[in-house]
Amino acid sequence: MHELLNDPIDVIVSFKDNRVLPHAMRWNERDYKIDNVNLVHSAREGTKRVFYFSVSDAANYFKLKLDPELLEWRLVELYADG
Amino acid sequence: MRMDNGRIILHIDMNSYFASVEQQANPFLRGKPIGITGKNQERSVVATASIEAKKLGVKTAMSTWEAKKICPSIILWPGDPEKYADIMHRFNAIYRSFTEHVEEFSVDESFLDLTEEAQDYLGATCMAQAIRERVSEACGPHITASIGIAPNRLMAKLASESVKPNGLTVVRPHEVLNLLDQSDLEDLCGIGHGIREHLSQLGIESFQQLREFPLERLMEEFHGYGLWLHEAAWGREVVQEPSHTSEPAKSYGHSYTLPFNTNDPVVLKRYLLGLADKVAWRLRRDGVAARRISAHVRFADFSGHGEQRTSIEPITDGLRLFKIAWQILAPFLQHAPVRLVGLTASLISSDPKRTSLFKKEQHMQSVLSSLDLLQHRYGSGIWKRASTLPVEFKSRSSGFRFDHEL
Ligand SMILES: [Mg+2]
Repeated sequence: MHELLNDPIDVIVSFKDNRVLPHAMRWNERDYKIDNVNLVHSAREGTKRVFYFSVSDAANYFKLKLDPELLEWRLVELYADG
Repeated sequence: MRMDNGRIILHIDMNSYFASVEQQANPFLRGKPIGITGKNQERSVVATASIEAKKLGVKTAMSTWEAKKICPSIILWPGDPEKYADIMHRFNAIYRSFTEHVEEFSVDESFLDLTEEAQDYLGATCMAQAIRERVSEACGPHITASIGIAPNRLMAKLASESVKPNGLTVVRPHEVLNLLDQSDLEDLCGIGHGIREHLSQLGIESFQQLREFPLERLMEEFHGYGLWLHEAAWGREVVQEPSHTSEPAKSYGHSYTLPFNTNDPVVLKRYLLGLADKVAWRLRRDGVAARRISAHVRFADFSGHGEQRTSIEPITDGLRLFKIAWQILAPFLQHAPVRLVGLTASLISSDPKRTSLFKKEQHMQSVLSSLDLLQHRYGSGIWKRASTLPVEFKSRSSGFRFDHEL
């Protein structure tokens, strides 16, 4: 199941070596632990740069978007295995 | 015409590039047949099939319904060009850290001239391994590349394509004929289906036969391309834009079908600039200039728009071609998503002032410098990023038959 969303989420992150690493997220009143950060890329959105984190837990793939100006995280894509 | 005298060329080609990026991002796509498509999957094509899908018979540019018929388990995944562009930027930067002689051949393929940096084939092999490690670190282990090292681009590309995925094939000068004799004619970049058929009619089915075929007869059959074919059969590359006729062309044009329909002006500008540069390069190669520019688009709903402009001054510059074409097209782009852009230069006159860049073998340089110029003009931002990326032209001979010389 592949879904495109744009839901605000809460994320627990760490900062290390100029990198942001998401560890867990809260979406729809449920907590998800992030097991793997598979790919990080950035893109332009108008004049600003936003970051995308392609992450996964044991059953789901999530694409998270970080707006560094607003310090806002959103869940923009979800894929559940099977 | 240039012959390769002791050069060492590395060709690097990402394996199933778009699909591999998705498999890197999403572990649930790994090991599965997936096909990257446009936004509208119904009437889209598979822009890239994963290695698994290719094994099941799915081919690049196959329609989605055909892919589904051949491979019912295929996962069709909408492409994410921004992500591919970002990753592409990373590996291109890695290549440039090894040599300044990088020719970006297509979205996921480059040639690196390592003659000076590597000194010999052992050195080149070590560099290839280092490049591969750094690409893996920067992009992720699921994004792999095939590498070929040989005395020229033609043989390097043939070498890299001989082992997929993740191959490293080194072909030294004395091994070149061997590689050719193990390859089919159509494996060679530059021998498409039409040329293959034509050769077959002459009784030529292998490189060995092509090598032994009299050059004069090849020239009669293929004109200037006959020499190219003859040299290729000997493992040599005549650096020359393939052309079927030696008569001067009356117009120079290119059209390009976008891998994804879009009316994003940034994306369209990038493709149009790429076309303009290609046309401009052909003008300069032939030492001619054009005074009439026509540009056209075809929309996703199969309607289209095209117009022409005539300039007083003869033009040979890709940036000027691009600007005129953009003036023509920009007002019409909101009509519908665009699926094809095209540009033609005509009213051709000879341009004796200009030295042929072709002779100076600097065509890539000129393309790059006009890209740089544009980058400065439009400032930073997405345009800067986009314009430094190679435009996604797949060569007609690479099997991705989206690009048409007009
Ligand atoms: Mg490739």
